[in-house]
Amino acid sequence: MTEQRATAAPTDSGTGRPKGDTAAGGVTSGGQTSAQRTAARGGSGQGPLLEVNDLVKHFDIRGGLLGISKLGAVRAVDGVSFTVNEGETLGLVGESGCGKTTLGKVVLRLLPPTSGQVSFEGKSLFDLKARELKAARRDIQVVFQDPYASLNPRMSVGEIVGEGLYVHGMSNKRERESAVRDLLKRVGLNQQHIHRYPHEFSGGQRQRIGIARALALRPKFIVCDEPVSALDVSIQSQVLNLLSDLQDEFQLTYLFIAHNLAVVKHLSTRVGVMYLGKIVELSDADELYRSPAHPYTKALLSAIPVPDPTIRRERIVLKGDLPSPANPPSGCRFHTRCPMAQEICKTEEPPLRDVGGGHLSACHFAEEVTPLEVRRPVAGPA
Amino acid sequence: MTATARHVGPLLEVKGLRTQFFTQDGVVKAVDDVTFEIGHGQTLGVVGESGCGKSITSLSVMRLIDRPGKIVAGEILLNGDNLLAMKEDAMRDVRGDQVSMIFQEPMTSLNPVYTCGDQIAEAVQQHTAVSRREAWDRAVEMLRIVGIPDAKRRATEHPHQLSGGMRQRVMIAMALSTDPDLLIADEPTTALDVTIQAQILEVMRDLREKNRMAIMLITHDLGVVAEMADEVVVMYAGKVVERADVRTVFGSPHHPYTKGLLLSIPRLDERVERLEVIKGTVPSPLNLPSGCLFKRRCPYRMRVCDTAPPYQEVQPGHFSRCWLTPAGEPPDVGADAEGPEAEQAADALTVAPR
Repeated sequence: MTEQRATAAPTDSGTGRPKGDTAAGGVTSGGQTSAQRTAARGGSGQGPLLEVNDLVKHFDIRGGLLGISKLGAVRAVDGVSFTVNEGETLGLVGESGCGKTTLGKVVLRLLPPTSGQVSFEGKSLFDLKARELKAARRDIQVVFQDPYASLNPRMSVGEIVGEGLYVHGMSNKRERESAVRDLLKRVGLNQQHIHRYPHEFSGGQRQRIGIARALALRPKFIVCDEPVSALDVSIQSQVLNLLSDLQDEFQLTYLFIAHNLAVVKHLSTRVGVMYLGKIVELSDADELYRSPAHPYTKALLSAIPVPDPTIRRERIVLKGDLPSPANPPSGCRFHTRCPMAQEICKTEEPPLRDVGGGHLSACHFAEEVTPLEVRRPVAGPA
Repeated sequence: MTATARHVGPLLEVKGLRTQFFTQDGVVKAVDDVTFEIGHGQTLGVVGESGCGKSITSLSVMRLIDRPGKIVAGEILLNGDNLLAMKEDAMRDVRGDQVSMIFQEPMTSLNPVYTCGDQIAEAVQQHTAVSRREAWDRAVEMLRIVGIPDAKRRATEHPHQLSGGMRQRVMIAMALSTDPDLLIADEPTTALDVTIQAQILEVMRDLREKNRMAIMLITHDLGVVAEMADEVVVMYAGKVVERADVRTVFGSPHHPYTKGLLLSIPRLDERVERLEVIKGTVPSPLNLPSGCLFKRRCPYRMRVCDTAPPYQEVQPGHFSRCWLTPAGEPPDVGADAEGPEAEQAADALTVAPR
């Protein structure tokens, strides 16, 4: 398993092969590179804040009479490498079971890794001692998916948001309360609601509480795991805007995990696509949409319904279901469902390689993947 | 199908439907004066956010409203027969035979202790006089039609042995095994991944064409509606706020809520720095504002919005529950009109929706 490091240095176009016939050169026409956009967003763009190196997380399947003999392993994350630069948002998309949430949890050190490295600001997260880990946790925070399950129903909003402050040494109650009030105001909640309990809030408001909690310790880096997928459409956009405002205000770096590619693309500088525990493509967000270099990405793009009835797109319907991550297919993991699969795909696992301008793809035939065809047969409404 | 031949006109007509829930805290008007129709072989998309009454509308059509809920007014005509006047026996024949339904969560709608084949065969035997053997063969055939590989073996498996997408196919197979005229699909793909959603939508499109079946598609996903529907009903807080053919709703929406919804979803094919936002939240059904239900969140709010807005036909076949004129101007009665004057103006502008 020789994964290439997914350090998508945007200026490194020297070694990149031209991808396809259209986008020669890789750093594509008109599109900003991620560094430019990071700079435009006010981030300092100082290179990697987080480095993930060949990370593996397997969950053992145990059984037998005593339930202790190992029968196999679910390979949830299986050799993933990438970097997140300071001030950017790295999006991770994939379908259920692709390992994106597990990856987030390992990065947060909520789960121990099977092997591999994660370093934050140059220091390995897995080697930290308890005291150092506590300090690192100030800098790394998380927003969870389900705002109904991730807030303790027996704690008031003030206690939920202020808990981190207390744990990290702000013992003065009055000081803490005023800090919490500031945070509530910042995320768009009424400061008077500090003594209320989670059940008194709607889903969107609860997610704001979760965001306030994540912000309390002024972190540098926030893992957002499906932060809007449980919310209604009109509330979703409010929370997305809030996340992007807070990023500007506090110079935050996000790892944004979601299954909705449109949401991920909206917020992300770069996007990584995961399939069965591996990153199959990683590139600048707009580039990924304009010229996907992996057939799975293309199929994902084609499967997302576009809210415009005048558009007719090339329709790629993948056959079958996601194979079990306990027993992934040989060679390229996508070959069982891939419309482009050849003999080589069954035997040889394609490495994640640069196909031009920092656009990474793990496909033997990345150069032959064409952009998704989109047609507008009728202009305007009937 | 014989009924289809007799009846001229739309397959399903819902007129002035009101479904209310009598709770301890008060009366919840879950569906409040909802009117629409579905033609033979047509697909109607019903969109709205949680709590807007879209699911209760579909359950009302199936007459599956239990206490404390009750259908308090309206007519539901299927091929011209009023379902609300039917005896429970006759209604049982309508369910499954003429109207079938699939739900969001296939695991909770399938019986975990019977095989998939048994469950489909049971539905077939309920509605047609066939032998057990024939019903089983029909079940296998249906599984094959909805694209389940190795259908013969899958029919002998239990629901927990199948993936989410497979289970939803089994639900569709069951719903279609009796060849209904109308399929009610309540968020059929919401629990599924996008590539599996694409498969299910493909199956539904396919079967719609082959069987000339009408679909009432209930969803919050505007993308799914744009791909599937012929006509769209947008619901908000129990009321229909806009209704038109799919291109009009997406191309030139009239109601501010519809406009806001369309602008607030991130799009794959464009990049915007900030998303447009509908401010605030959906009002509590126990504490609805007077007049226009959307007024507190509406960027066009006027004084006149304190009076219930008219249901206007802003274009032929395009209805909107809003005070704005078809061109988007304040109404002739004046933006500040109130009281009886405004009520009269609303009555005058309101059309009886067809």
